[in-house]
Amino acid sequence: MSEIQDVTGEAIESAVLSRVVTALGGMVLEVTEQNPRRGWVRVDPARIREASRIMFAEQKARLATVSGLEVRDGIDMLYHWCLDSEHYIVTLKALAARPAMEIDSVGQDLPAANWIEREMHDLLGAEFRGHPDMRRLILADDWPEGAYPLRRDFHVPRVDPTGKRETNEWAGARDEKKLQQPPASQPKTPKPGRTLINIGPFHPLQEEMEFFQLYCEGETVVDMDVRISYNHRGIEEFSSRLTWDQVPFLVERVCGICSASHPWAYIRAVEEICGIQAPPRAEYLRTIVAELERLHSHMLWIGLAGHFLGYNTVWMWAWKYREPVMDILELTTGSRIHYANNRIGGVRRDIPPDLYPEIRKAVDSLKAPLELITNAFLDDPVLHARLKGVGVLSKEDALRWGATGPTARASGVPIDARRDYPHGAYEEVDWEVITQPEGDVFAKAVVRCLECFESVKIIEQCVDRIPDGPIAVEVNHVPPGEAVGNYEAPRGETFHYVRSDGGAGPVRHKIRAPTYMNLPSFKSSCIGEHISDVTITLASIDPCYSCTERMARLVDAETGKPLGTFDDMVRISQERTRRLRKEV
Amino acid sequence: MGAIGIFLAAAVGTLVIGMVASWVDRKVTARVQYRVGPPLFQPVYDIAKLLGKETLLPERAKGRGFLLAPVVGFAAAGVGAAIVWHANIRPAEGFVGDLIVLLYVLTIPAIAVIYGALASGSPHATFGASREMKLLMSYELPLVMAVLVPVVQVVKGGGGATFSIGQLVTFQQTSGWALFSLSGVIATAVALLCIQAKLTLVPFDLPEAETELMGGTHLEYSGPPLAMIKLTRFLLLAVSPVFLATLFVGGLGDAASGWSWLALAGKFVVFLVLVVLIRNTNPRLQVRKAVRFFWFGMAPLAAGALVLAWLGY
Repeated sequence: MSEIQDVTGEAIESAVLSRVVTALGGMVLEVTEQNPRRGWVRVDPARIREASRIMFAEQKARLATVSGLEVRDGIDMLYHWCLDSEHYIVTLKALAARPAMEIDSVGQDLPAANWIEREMHDLLGAEFRGHPDMRRLILADDWPEGAYPLRRDFHVPRVDPTGKRETNEWAGARDEKKLQQPPASQPKTPKPGRTLINIGPFHPLQEEMEFFQLYCEGETVVDMDVRISYNHRGIEEFSSRLTWDQVPFLVERVCGICSASHPWAYIRAVEEICGIQAPPRAEYLRTIVAELERLHSHMLWIGLAGHFLGYNTVWMWAWKYREPVMDILELTTGSRIHYANNRIGGVRRDIPPDLYPEIRKAVDSLKAPLELITNAFLDDPVLHARLKGVGVLSKEDALRWGATGPTARASGVPIDARRDYPHGAYEEVDWEVITQPEGDVFAKAVVRCLECFESVKIIEQCVDRIPDGPIAVEVNHVPPGEAVGNYEAPRGETFHYVRSDGGAGPVRHKIRAPTYMNLPSFKSSCIGEHISDVTITLASIDPCYSCTERMARLVDAETGKPLGTFDDMVRISQERTRRLRKEV
Repeated sequence: MGAIGIFLAAAVGTLVIGMVASWVDRKVTARVQYRVGPPLFQPVYDIAKLLGKETLLPERAKGRGFLLAPVVGFAAAGVGAAIVWHANIRPAEGFVGDLIVLLYVLTIPAIAVIYGALASGSPHATFGASREMKLLMSYELPLVMAVLVPVVQVVKGGGGATFSIGQLVTFQQTSGWALFSLSGVIATAVALLCIQAKLTLVPFDLPEAETELMGGTHLEYSGPPLAMIKLTRFLLLAVSPVFLATLFVGGLGDAASGWSWLALAGKFVVFLVLVVLIRNTNPRLQVRKAVRFFWFGMAPLAAGALVLAWLGY
């Protein structure tokens, strides 16, 4: 076997990348070895289906997501394949050339690519040959055809603010009637005699907007469909208009709960472009906040799961015990939700040593309630009857759908970005990746309960061992380049792709939230179940749709004076923080 | 006092008790869950507010049946209350077979709920109705068998065959409560769980199942009809513990004595708290599991209790 060469002419050092390139054989056009854990391979676009099949079936890789990138010659498709057990991420690049911008659909073989191809069709106008279900995913139903918001030639149509002149170029293109109609997502053969049960767009089961349609025969769900993106905010596009340091604040707001995870994944990508490493103390601080976040997220889920099952006592108890975690987060970062502590090169705010005992005390006080809740879950015969064998996602299906996080781990797929892609303080503390083989809702509950204890362990060790030193390195320039970064958010791996042209901010920033991979797996886990089981199965992946967007504006009905303005919120939070400080 | 007078007194009195019971339910639940809970008059506020709201009639609803069903349910629950109280206060004056009538009357609210839900034209309500139907058919059999246990005990105790609640009460006052025997304990437990299902409380709140069916059977109701449904539930929440107390722990006894009223209040509270505790320490069951629970769990148990009672245990 001749030595495989990088695009620069140097020999490839990584055994994993060599193996992958060898397996792909003649399809490979060009190889770039970025560092010992990342490789980029340009392949022949005509053979992308075959390449994907080799990656999935032979190399046992997991498709994290596909990033679409508009370039001069067309749309560059970046298929990010994670070889989790080998700690390696290979990105296959394939060009969908102008003018057709067409490429074979990978989604027809691998369901994990189904949604992302629909998304790229919506946003970039790429065409996928042979895609089984090319309906709208991201864009609203009344969005005009042929307007692709992520394309360079797209512009937001001008509307005359006075409303006197019709300057809207899309006038007539928008079909208001479509908004009144049921969504386009109807299964292809709606049989008579089936009852349609709608869950959404607003439903007590879900905190956010989404629209499930359950086709039922009796109580059994025979087909299902989902319509998402009621809350699409164009964060990826917005991100490419901000500076490097502004983006973490934006991506924090992708999700109200993963607000430590998204910035970290982005920062990991940018640090990789820069080739820098945050100081050890910063890595510990990041780890502490991220694990506190995992604790509060998992406890939130345990409570919600109780609520969905009609077990409201569990709901209230879990949320009560979650409060100390929120208090500690507020104490250490200044905020319960948006921590704003992470930055490129380190962290913004140190945790002073006199807070260590506070953190330890709060985390200690969690152990007994966590034991209580875990035992209540594990030993309750009614819960066993209710959750065991329900909504099973088999290991094969979890792999095919590219499931991540507790959803995958409960199906016996031992992946965890914290362990598989070493970063933070995770290598230096003692913890375990929890897996369960069954794949049912009960297994997912067990995984989350036990992961809480692991988080407690991690936080305690971090507080004990945190080294002194600087909390950040100065980063003055981000060189041109591209990189991926991931982090294990409480719900699963969040995956970011960032491309730099050496300017003030990213030119392309692709965000893939964990639910994006976990949610579509309902096709495997929910069909054939009863309605009551479907609802808890949907909830068991801990879905997070497009996450909280706070645009509600309260106005006093009599005076018309706005209430709860930004200033009010800041004042209230500051008062609360002051009070907490005093109490501590 | 005429029959109408008795009915009105029983219905209004039971309604007041039911509102207090519902407040106790909500308050205890709140305290168990570390919440503050509502003020004492919250049930009254709820009803008053609902009565002031608009009645929305869904486009696809069959209006007459949709609006009539809550009234029928309320009336039936009121009649049930009247029978139970009458049998307790004047045990000697009951009519023959009022136990059988009571069992029938107490199924009417559930049937009214099914009828109203099916008339509402909503798929969610339809699912709720189908669940309520399955639930009704599964808990009625064990309930009837459990109720027969005190009857059999009276027969074995030499009181003669009777289906009069008054006679059951009188017999228990002289020869001890039905609960004080192996068959009585089993029958009480079975009846309590059946009552839990009759009240559609967790773990048997399937017809409403907020996080699945968004309220199911009464999803489409609003304003006064919804208030009517709430009132029916207050009545049932008051009648059911009294019903259990009457059949299994001796009922009221001497209506002229204040002590026996106090004792009845005590029995009432015990049964109510049991119901509230069950509701707060369980998740909702699936339909098929609930049916299996009653048919293959509770029914054989109740049948066993009947046999035991016949054998004199």
